[in-house]
Amino acid sequence: MLNIIKSDLYRVFRGKAIYIVIALILVLAAVSCFAMSPGHIGIASSSIEQTDYDNEELLEKVYETDSILETREIMKEYGSFPLDKALLGANSNLYYFFIVVVVIVLVTDLSNSTVKNTLSSAISRKKYYFSKLITSIGLGTFLILINNYGSYLINLLMNGQEFSAGILEITKLTVLQLPILYGIISLLVCIGFCFRKTGTFNSVTIPLIIVIQLIIMGVSTLFHFDSTNLLNYEFQYIIGNLVADPTNAYLLKTFVLAIFYIITFNVIGYRVFKKTEIK
Amino acid sequence: MQEIVLQTNNLTKKYKNFVALDHANITIHKGDIYGLIGRNGAGKTTLMKTVTTLTNKTGGSFSLFGSEEELTESKRRIGCLIESPAFFGNLTAFQNLKYYAIQKGIVNDQQIEKVLKTVDLYKEKNKKFKNFSLGMKQRLGIAFAILDHPDFIILDEPINGLDPIGIKEIRDTLKKLNEEEKITILISSHILSELYLIANHFCFIDKGRILKDLSKEELDLECSKCIVIKTKEVKKAAVLLEKEFKTTNYKVIDHTEIRLYDFLEDIAKINKIMLANDVEITGIFESGISLEDYFDSLIREGVKEC
Repeated sequence: MLNIIKSDLYRVFRGKAIYIVIALILVLAAVSCFAMSPGHIGIASSSIEQTDYDNEELLEKVYETDSILETREIMKEYGSFPLDKALLGANSNLYYFFIVVVVIVLVTDLSNSTVKNTLSSAISRKKYYFSKLITSIGLGTFLILINNYGSYLINLLMNGQEFSAGILEITKLTVLQLPILYGIISLLVCIGFCFRKTGTFNSVTIPLIIVIQLIIMGVSTLFHFDSTNLLNYEFQYIIGNLVADPTNAYLLKTFVLAIFYIITFNVIGYRVFKKTEIK
Repeated sequence: MQEIVLQTNNLTKKYKNFVALDHANITIHKGDIYGLIGRNGAGKTTLMKTVTTLTNKTGGSFSLFGSEEELTESKRRIGCLIESPAFFGNLTAFQNLKYYAIQKGIVNDQQIEKVLKTVDLYKEKNKKFKNFSLGMKQRLGIAFAILDHPDFIILDEPINGLDPIGIKEIRDTLKKLNEEEKITILISSHILSELYLIANHFCFIDKGRILKDLSKEELDLECSKCIVIKTKEVKKAAVLLEKEFKTTNYKVIDHTEIRLYDFLEDIAKINKIMLANDVEITGIFESGISLEDYFDSLIREGVKEC
């Protein structure tokens, strides 16, 4: 298993994709730090993501301007707040980088049929599956660390200590976010093993995060119930909520949900792969 | 007794209602170059994919190096090129082999260089796979198959789409591997004439069924020009051939048939002598066909002799 992981890392770091991803993460962190405003994906976002500057007047001013420089001035005038912590609240953006990781580690291998070279040698499907999962999670963790500590350092350099939550807080939040991020990587790995073609994989995974929110909001509108409770357990909301000092009960529930994701998606992924004919 | 490298026992693969492999029985001995011949869709690739566990069998069993149970361990001793060669387009020939060398636990880069030299790709080692010609891709596939010093290599249509020079190069490489490194080879093709030049054992397959499994000598006998003598008194006829025609160049096929490879112009004379010596002849005729015609006749007859 270790040899497969080593060979994948050899291949991944000989390609350009991983370096482009790292560069993009750092550029996005730098832009967010400079604008002093974390961006997010999806059609709805956790309100807690912006708790640290929830002054209505301020938000109005920020929304009125379309200049990053002006935004920066407004935010600085408002006073200190932990920007790096708020940036971590927008970590659902990492989802798209995880897609790239799963494509380069797994889907390319399945899509190119190079998987048959591996499986026709002394490597079982079980070993192959778990090697790919571990490599994806390992590279995912690597990107999370680059993103979180990169954001922390860039913020420190650009905005100074008064806009930072401190390295210990960043480390704590990173640890809290890891389980649900691993659950999401497991989901992507599962989709990769189910569809096996790069085009199909991308067309399923790229809109997925938005589609899930749309479904929740659509169903709640249709049946007239408050979607907030449900949305609080949606991936983007969890990521945002986890950086906003949630209750222990919420932490436990999201942790259980993450474990449920990891187990369920990997059981499905492995069972599908075990029966798959390798082409 | 020669070691059995691969043995299948009623190996079957079904896709819903379609039987891709139908109770296939083959035995490959150490040192063989075993040619698997069949039309497109005959079941050659399915057989190879089943024994390499790329697809799950529906029925029957198979053993590699005498073991049915420890397939993963046995697979350490085989190298494969199934269907078209697949590698990472953005990596060079060397990097592609390095990737698989790491997987197989090969730490010495010299082994990669050695196999690249064997398939005459050493000069192209830094060229990206996506820029390779079909022939180069096939040769890289063979380099991958022999990367880990296998005892047995399985090659699925390795000469597909190659020009005559490319075909000859691959043929020479495979013969060299068989003779010098004692590697047993299972090779499939639908180009009978080419396979004839490489293999020493042949297996004809159609619609998932093994039609005939025979050695090169047996195939030569089946296809060479001869006089087929059909009689119920095979022993008496054989004695007569030796006594009257002073020849031993004949073969008793079964208890009703003798094939005589001499005196091809003397059918009438042979018939007359047999009758004169009270050997009842039920049929006597000249036979001998090309490999293609032989294969065609096997398919038409649907003969199943294993």
